[in-house]
Amino acid sequence: MGAESFLAMRGIDKRFGDVRALNDVDFELEAGEIHALLGVNGAGKSTLIKILSGVYSKDAGSIRIDGEEFALGSPRAAIEAGIAVVQQHPELVGDLTGAENIFLGQEHRRSGLFSPVNGQDIRRRAAALLERFPIDVDLDRAVDDMPAVDREIVAILHALRLENARILILDEPTSTLTEREKESLFEMMQTLKAQGLAIIYITHHLDEVFEIADRFTVFRGGRRVATHGVAEAQREGISIPNLMLDSVAGDIFPPRSDRVDGEVVFEARDLSRQGEFEDVSFSARKGEILGIFGLVGSGVDELSKALFGVLRPDSGELHLNGRRVRFRSPAQALKAGIFLVPGDRRTEGLSMDENVIFNTTVANLGRASLGGFMRFGRNRRDSGALAERVDLQPRKLDRPLRGYSGGNQQKVVIAKGLYREADVYIFVEPTVGVDIGARAKIYTLMRELSDRAAVIVISSDCDEVFGVADRTVALYKGAPIGAPSREITRDHLLHAGIMGEAV
Amino acid sequence: MTTNTLFIRILAFGAIVAIIAGLFWSQNPAFLSTGNIRALMRHMSVNGVAALGLTFVIVVRHFDLSFPGVASFGAMTMGWLIAGGQPLWMAISGGLAVGLLFGIFNGIAVARFKLPDIVTTIATGGLAIGFSYFYSNGTSISRNFFMSGLLDINDGRFLGLDRPFAILLGAALIGILILNASRFGRAFYATGENETAAWYSGVPVNAMVVAAFALCGLCACLSVVLLVASSGAANVSAGTQLLMPAFAAVYLGAALFGRPSVLATLAGTMLMSLMLNGFTLLAIPYYYSDAIVSTVLILAITCFDPRISGALRRLIPARKEKLA
Repeated sequence: MGAESFLAMRGIDKRFGDVRALNDVDFELEAGEIHALLGVNGAGKSTLIKILSGVYSKDAGSIRIDGEEFALGSPRAAIEAGIAVVQQHPELVGDLTGAENIFLGQEHRRSGLFSPVNGQDIRRRAAALLERFPIDVDLDRAVDDMPAVDREIVAILHALRLENARILILDEPTSTLTEREKESLFEMMQTLKAQGLAIIYITHHLDEVFEIADRFTVFRGGRRVATHGVAEAQREGISIPNLMLDSVAGDIFPPRSDRVDGEVVFEARDLSRQGEFEDVSFSARKGEILGIFGLVGSGVDELSKALFGVLRPDSGELHLNGRRVRFRSPAQALKAGIFLVPGDRRTEGLSMDENVIFNTTVANLGRASLGGFMRFGRNRRDSGALAERVDLQPRKLDRPLRGYSGGNQQKVVIAKGLYREADVYIFVEPTVGVDIGARAKIYTLMRELSDRAAVIVISSDCDEVFGVADRTVALYKGAPIGAPSREITRDHLLHAGIMGEAV
Repeated sequence: MTTNTLFIRILAFGAIVAIIAGLFWSQNPAFLSTGNIRALMRHMSVNGVAALGLTFVIVVRHFDLSFPGVASFGAMTMGWLIAGGQPLWMAISGGLAVGLLFGIFNGIAVARFKLPDIVTTIATGGLAIGFSYFYSNGTSISRNFFMSGLLDINDGRFLGLDRPFAILLGAALIGILILNASRFGRAFYATGENETAAWYSGVPVNAMVVAAFALCGLCACLSVVLLVASSGAANVSAGTQLLMPAFAAVYLGAALFGRPSVLATLAGTMLMSLMLNGFTLLAIPYYYSDAIVSTVLILAITCFDPRISGALRRLIPARKEKLA
């Protein structure tokens, strides 16, 4: 049968109850290749990865690595087969050094209750590992003191600490990294690739695919839709979003607004906070979306919190509907008519163990109750209507948020904002970890909201800010580059945000 | 929780009660006699009221270990006021005020100043026990008790129920209205579930934590009023027996109903009292009861722990697993 691929998965089937998560899937991977897995949430890419890493067992099909058949029924079997997995949010021990984390649980070469942990030995083994994979990282620092990218590198080295590792799986490794950190991670991936490792790489960022991957495979509805070489896809103009979505998606951004004279609702004047942002001024109008682009660490996160009363600005003024306002807490900002869709929905936006109704109504308990008592029937109806409006999938109001995908969790945060009926909506990183179908819906909702409220989107994704907002401005090291304008092109915005260059 | 699963859980609880009652009844038919059932409800009342208050603290994901000590101080304060010839309502109010003040103090220390709840409440509990010695150098107080009408709280009846049990039901009804039907209840749960998200949603999280501790102190002192009324004397160790049954009731209830709530706590209290009463009837020495309560507490915590329940769920094949 000719030259077989290094990893060959054939006819893989996996069912969960009535749902066919994987349907006769073939997948091939070569040594020394970076292979991106693409697909909306639920398309089957995670299921495939979990079968490969031994978390799920396949219902049918065969897996051959280097010509040898493997069953891979357990994580242990997968490790023995040379498959190394780095989870999306790797668990590291913050107080221990990078090297100690890498060899956690394997400090001893000889087992024995009383054999002392040998720090020197661990450092020597870490050095040996770095010799195999030459990467510029200081493994003697505590993990808590490391930048996010070094933590990711430690997690990868942890996965690769076994000599036999030959397939590396990275699940959205760039989701917490800044643009520059991403580059160092990509450098590391190139190094590993040069060592002959086969790398599978899951991402939601399509631009990364062209930057780092050699080939990509697209999943949709449990089937493999296509595998292409990146060069080939570029040459032939293959549209990945079209492959990922059932219908031809076209542009995921709604059309721009041509309303320019909407009344000013929310205004910032020379807002500053020491070491975080300075002299930020903007006005947000009804009828249009204001976009603020800034990388992680540029002060956008702190700015959004200062607008919502979480942080207090050192100087400058906020004006809401023509009146000066000062917020000492989010409660005051909410009361004044501002709603924040926070950047980290899991820790700042939602009660993950509570259901859709609870989360939808919690930011407006006054509306949800009468004389202090909850209006259960009415809240259910209102939540149901809002769930329909944001297109929640599946629309199960009693299901805890934990049971929803990232995109649908974000829709619940937006439903919560709609229930609040605010005058100003601030969206921070609104589509992190959100699949492309839900992204399009979220952008449409933002556009709808802008009809009757001021909408501000703050994001480290330049295309998102440029695509959805009418007027944009970039924040670079805390300082706005120019004033918000309709005339800024995507390239100018990108340059302003990444290098601080004015037009 | 949907009405449907709630219904199933109530059925399951009923079944457990029936099995336990059946077992004890088969060993000793007196278990289901009117007299014993009344004794059981009386026993439930003291522990139930204390557990009710603790429920709020557990809902906001904190711990209060001070309430037994605070209850002792409340008992001695009330006793001292009665002995000093104050009217009964004044004496009871004084006892309850002690609970409220200590609760507020605990709450401010934990919520505003972010002190660790366990250590802080151990300390305030110790402080309260120390204070309870002030009135009589530690001897028990019972002067004027008979004349004051305090004992009527234990002996009287209300709508055909023993008065302590009526008080428990009344307190539970108020608790259900607050925690499970009002907007404040939502705020308590939101605070416990995810404090940051609650704060971002405009919930006054610090105030909710203070309120939870205040209710816990108040309920502890109310429960000790019932206890003193039944024993006829106030002493400095009155509250110490409240700790374990209250925690066991809250956690047992949470294990049965999936989360802490007033109804769950009532159910937990009832199971605890059933077992303790049953073992007493079987003439198992009283000093084993602490061990029994502790065993139940450990089992309940085990079931309530998400890691354990998650592991149990994993034992059932991946049929309902969410598609990643």
